[in-house]
Amino acid sequence: MRVKGVIFLLIMAGLGFAATYFITDEFIEEKIEYQASVINEAKVEIDGFEFDLFSLKVGWDRLQVTNPKNTMINTFETGETEFNVDFWPLLWNKVIVENVQMTGFELETERETDGYFEMPVNEEGEEDPGIFAEVTKQVGGEISKNANMKFTAVKDNINVDSLMAMVDLQSIDKMDSLKNGLSSNYSKWENTINNNTIVNDVDKMRATLQALNVNEMKDPKKAIEALKNVQGMVKKADSLKKSVVDLKKNFVADLNTSKNSLESIPNWIREDIDRAAGIAKLPEINAQSIGTALFGSNLLGDFNTYMGYLGTAREYGARLKGPEEEQEEEIERFEGKNYEFSDKYDWPGFWVKKIELSGVTKNDIDLRGLVTDVSSDQNKTGKPLLIEMGGADANNTSLNINAEINYLEEKPRESVKVTYAGFPLKNSRISPSELIPYELSSGKGELSLGVNVIGKRFDSEIKYLASDVSFDFNSAGKPKNQIESLIRTAISSADDINATALVDNTTGPLRVRVRSNIDDMFLNTLKSTISREVENAKRRIRNEVESRVNAKKREVEQLVREKEAQLRAEYEKFEQKVNDQLKIVEEKKQELEKKKKELEDSLKNKAVDTIRDKIGF
Amino acid sequence: MLILIKYIAKLLKALSSEDSPWQIAGGFVLGMIIGLTPIFSLHNMIIVILILIIKVNIGMAILSFLIFSGIAYIADPAFHNFGTWMLTNPDLQSMWTGMYDKEWWAMTRFYNTVVIGSFVLSVLLCIPMFPAVLVFVNKYRTHIHAKVQKWKIVKAFKGTKIYSIYQTYTRVRG
Repeated sequence: MRVKGVIFLLIMAGLGFAATYFITDEFIEEKIEYQASVINEAKVEIDGFEFDLFSLKVGWDRLQVTNPKNTMINTFETGETEFNVDFWPLLWNKVIVENVQMTGFELETERETDGYFEMPVNEEGEEDPGIFAEVTKQVGGEISKNANMKFTAVKDNINVDSLMAMVDLQSIDKMDSLKNGLSSNYSKWENTINNNTIVNDVDKMRATLQALNVNEMKDPKKAIEALKNVQGMVKKADSLKKSVVDLKKNFVADLNTSKNSLESIPNWIREDIDRAAGIAKLPEINAQSIGTALFGSNLLGDFNTYMGYLGTAREYGARLKGPEEEQEEEIERFEGKNYEFSDKYDWPGFWVKKIELSGVTKNDIDLRGLVTDVSSDQNKTGKPLLIEMGGADANNTSLNINAEINYLEEKPRESVKVTYAGFPLKNSRISPSELIPYELSSGKGELSLGVNVIGKRFDSEIKYLASDVSFDFNSAGKPKNQIESLIRTAISSADDINATALVDNTTGPLRVRVRSNIDDMFLNTLKSTISREVENAKRRIRNEVESRVNAKKREVEQLVREKEAQLRAEYEKFEQKVNDQLKIVEEKKQELEKKKKELEDSLKNKAVDTIRDKIGF
Repeated sequence: MLILIKYIAKLLKALSSEDSPWQIAGGFVLGMIIGLTPIFSLHNMIIVILILIIKVNIGMAILSFLIFSGIAYIADPAFHNFGTWMLTNPDLQSMWTGMYDKEWWAMTRFYNTVVIGSFVLSVLLCIPMFPAVLVFVNKYRTHIHAKVQKWKIVKAFKGTKIYSIYQTYTRVRG
């Protein structure tokens, strides 16, 4: 036994323990903060980090994850948190955590310092808006469109000239562009019909055939030779015929396409009319637009807020996923190949099996729940990510969140259900619309959201229920006009008001529909009051837009009409000429075949006569 | 050049040191295993601890490690092929699976073709190498050492400044 060696080893071990005791916490904290900030693309800060190497226990007093889009806000933060990391997976560079106990969880908290993080050059992530961002954008467009609707200030004596000055009539530019496209297409066909080689080829063929004088042919051999040549020409003629047929097919199809493109013009003009009506803030008087105007802004606004959270969750989920494991095709020197004899170590790179979460929302709801199976590869855990949280405040206003993020199936599936119930409505407005400008003197609200996303298919519903409502008409004073009076009468009879917004793309492009149980009341009231004014104003706008764009429309239509007629005539002439020449070729062929037969018959007869003479029969 | 001289001097010093032939041969084969197998392996950690604890010649172990690291670079494809043969051998599958399922065994990375191939081959190589080194050291000490000392090149080398610096360095280091 070498005593010096043992002492050396003991010193090394001692130094190791001392280093882990004094250095590891800060060192690991720094490393984690840096790596997490790179993933988050904004600062991630940990306060009071502790790591016990022997028990593999990790904890911190506070964790702040900055929102990369607004670095003065935290996407979320947590208070005291504690968990144990599994030992064996660490040796395989995998982080597996059985149970995290997280307290003081809060969303969107303000930061004391700017959370901007300078990203390393090669770590800049690609911006992919994703389905949630796309949906949010389109729903946002729907909200802003409906925010312009004014029901009570409709005038039919609007100044259309000054309105038109504000409207960019896009249909004129679109028609100009269409006209240029069509002109270029017609020129192409004109050139094709007048300068193709088909007529010349057929002309040459006819000239060659006409040079053949069938009556002067006495020698059957020469007739057969000539017939062979003619048969070659017939083959060529068949190919020319096919070219003509193909050309005609393309020509007719193209002309029809050009004609059909005119069908877009009325849509472009209608879009201009709608845009002008939008600028004039003229509402659509139907149940859908009333529902959207009454509750769209609130419901869809809430919807977009939740979509924002879902988008963030998906974004972080995607960032947690490591790069796809590459298939090793070439084995590098000293690397060798690993053989896996069981799936025992087939862990994902990162897997938190259970997070016991507790915190307080901005509305003082004491929220508690579980988040299970957060992993970088669900196929390896075989389990989807589940979120089950709920809680209530002192007034029994409750919030429940249930979500499943499942990447185990062929298409990724995400479903979320959020219910926020029992919130008081006293002194609040049920709708931001000018149609209901009254505060509520009593009532309770319930908001529920259900979202299902399978691949790119999106289906969601957000429901709002206000129960036991009563409006405070007294504060608003006396009705200012007949509409207000009628509305007050109508809504005062409603105890419960419910509204539903449906946003989906299950049958095609994204649809946004908002309906409520008081739409019909409003529809009837508005129909009986402002419907005529709206129609008059719309008619005037329509007439004005049409008068400004019709000249261009006629110009395009005339171009199509004239050019189509001209081209059809030219094509018919061309077709006729080719067919005439081909007919001559066909006739010559028949003539030659007849001559060939005559010569063959005469040869046959001669041969028979000679044999008879020889045998004396 | 300096490095080469240093290693030759190390070798000569080790061969003529007070260490027994067993210690020199032990250092040689242990250094050989480390040199032939991937350096960051669990078994190499154990071997390093063994070298430090048991009284083998450390200089010889380092020298052997350096020599066999170069050989390992050339022999790597052979290690991989041998390792592949072992890991895919149907008769050994139950043993590999049993070992793989035990974390401590799995830590040795014996499921890797180069690790297992080079380890088994280097252990097998110990069987002839250990007695061969033993015999060589004995022969050297009884027959060759005195002759070597008389070689002109050795005498010339001993007269160089490099050698005297090296001697001073080794004296100071102890």
